[in-house]
Amino acid sequence: MKSDKTTDKELQIQLASNAALASLINLTILPIIGFIALIWIYRKTQAGTIARYHAVLGFKINIVAAAVLFLVSALMILFGGFNSPWTWVYVITYFTLVHTLFIVLAVWALVRAWSGDTLLNSNSS
Amino acid sequence: MKYQSQSIAKLYFIAAIGLFVGQILFGVILGLQYVMGDFLFPEIPFNVARMVHTNLLIVWLLFGFMGSAYYLVPEEAERELYAPWLAKLMFWIFLVAGALTILGYLLVPYATLAEITMNDLLPTMGREFLEQPTITKIGIVIVALSFLFNIGMTILSGRKTVINLVMLTGMTGLAVFFLFSFYNPDNLVLDKYFWWFVVHLWVEGVWELIMASILAYVLIKITGVDREVIEKWLYIIIAMALITGLIGTGHHFFWIGTPGYWQWLGSVFSALEPIPFFMMTLFAFNVVNKRRRDHPNKAATLWALGTAVMAFLGAGVWGFLHTLAPVNYYTHGTQITAAHGHMAFYGAYVMVVLTMISYSMPIMRGQKAGNDRAQIVEMWSFWLMTVSMVFITLFLTGAGILQVYLQRYSEDPMTFMVTQDKIEVFYWMREVAGLVFLAGLGAYITSFFVKGEEVKIA
Ligand code: HEM
Ligand code: HEM
Ligand SMILES: [Fe+2]
Repeated sequence: MKSDKTTDKELQIQLASNAALASLINLTILPIIGFIALIWIYRKTQAGTIARYHAVLGFKINIVAAAVLFLVSALMILFGGFNSPWTWVYVITYFTLVHTLFIVLAVWALVRAWSGDTLLNSNSS
Repeated sequence: MKYQSQSIAKLYFIAAIGLFVGQILFGVILGLQYVMGDFLFPEIPFNVARMVHTNLLIVWLLFGFMGSAYYLVPEEAERELYAPWLAKLMFWIFLVAGALTILGYLLVPYATLAEITMNDLLPTMGREFLEQPTITKIGIVIVALSFLFNIGMTILSGRKTVINLVMLTGMTGLAVFFLFSFYNPDNLVLDKYFWWFVVHLWVEGVWELIMASILAYVLIKITGVDREVIEKWLYIIIAMALITGLIGTGHHFFWIGTPGYWQWLGSVFSALEPIPFFMMTLFAFNVVNKRRRDHPNKAATLWALGTAVMAFLGAGVWGFLHTLAPVNYYTHGTQITAAHGHMAFYGAYVMVVLTMISYSMPIMRGQKAGNDRAQIVEMWSFWLMTVSMVFITLFLTGAGILQVYLQRYSEDPMTFMVTQDKIEVFYWMREVAGLVFLAGLGAYITSFFVKGEEVKIA
């Protein structure tokens, strides 16, 4: 028989994994829908748990990614001009590379959620 | 090293690294010819240097794959290699045939080479990546079949692991698809159509199985994670690779005269092709995160993780970038293609072979891992080569976007050569990055000779 404690831990890891997955999905195939799913999962988490940690991490990654990707791209277009080829040289190259970096980060977050760890510290007991 | 015959891999790896050096030297020659058109002309014209660069790449990767198989197959099968002498014999045949072919490219005009090698009897020459004289192609088939026989007999009479079976399937596919290089119809549409059966079905089909098998093997060894876990991942990865990659060939059939439905089939299926590469990233990260031990070979772990990330970047992301028909309509055959070709080949196949070499070479030299100083030099070489390859890709991507815009997108398009002048600055920067890559390769080779305190096999 499992004690309540371990089942709770498994549940938290499950929630954390779902949150990390939603974050990754928002960054890749289903933007916005992934974010809504993340909000929905966040509301089921409690303060101080690994699940809450990964939901919040998901918010951070996606909000920073959105800001860094769209804001900087928009600025490039604004200052470079929509009809300048050089604008698109910078925007497309920048967007593709930086977008991928965020995806790789979110993948790492996902495997950390799977093992019940935070991004940097292993607190698996 | 558990079995004596595994050490044959060392021979293959040394040849692979030697040819790798040649490939990169010709790469930087090519890069310079892009900006100084008459550099080394008429001694080494651009088309010859290009042929040497790409053919050396393919040949050394084949040495790398075979070496990897000779190392991992006996250990997985728990027995000696079926016929070590055959593996050695084939090594020399392949090396001599390869060297003669390259010398042929360099020393006589291509048309003369075709004549000397009696291409008329069975014409197969003159197509990108498949420039080898017919007789060399026959040699490649003989080497491949002997190799398959050798590892096949070893695997079938030994322990049958998923890693070994995936490796055997991938290698069989490699040999089978190469046979299409002998089919050279007069009809240009059919020619291109079947040409891709070799080129695409290799890198986006069966080679992915070889890659997954090597990566899985090294990850089991360095992380100590359960085989069962790794096998489940392998199944999903190879299933996804084949489901998406086979029909994904259609992304090369958009504009070659094939029926229009290929624009749909090619776009949809190839858009899914990043999935297996993405799964490999997830797989490698997951296994390293759950590792049961800290293997002293830090460099091999770095290469394994690097492969997982860079293959996704080069094949997955940079492939997806131009794989939808409406995008490819503009980007087809531009520098975007070259950008993707470089990062994908490097990130997936160059890096996975270097991962295997990094893990196995110290063991074949009687140590568990390279000494600390050697590993530091090797890790420097990892970063120098990988970062410079990222820059080569970024510069070529920039060149490609500008090329598409000026030559194909703008209201009054420029001609090809006028456009090339406009994007010259990118070619200079690519050349600089290429020289950094060469320096990284120098560091890599140095790492094998750096002395320090030995890490004994426990
Ligand atoms: C490791 C795997 C891969 C390698 C080594 C690779 C390599 C290459 C190379 C060398 C070419 C140029 C062929 C030529 O015309 O000479 C090419 C073309 C192409 N690749 Fe890949 N590739 C890989 C994976 C992918 C993936 C996963 C996708 C799609 C998601 C993709 C999409 C394309 C497309 C659309 C072209 C045609 C470009 C054009 O129209 O000019 N590749 N690839
Ligand atoms: C491991 C590293 C490298 C790999 C895997 C690699 C691979 C390739 C491939 C697959 C092609 C054919 C591209 C296509 O068909 O689209 C190619 C062509 C070429 N490579 Fe590399 N290469 C490497 C390093 C370099 C370096 C360091 C340079 C020079 C700075 C270089 C310069 C070139 C040039 C100039 C071409 C001809 C492109 C053209 O025809 O327009 N390569 N290489
Ligand atoms: Fe392809």
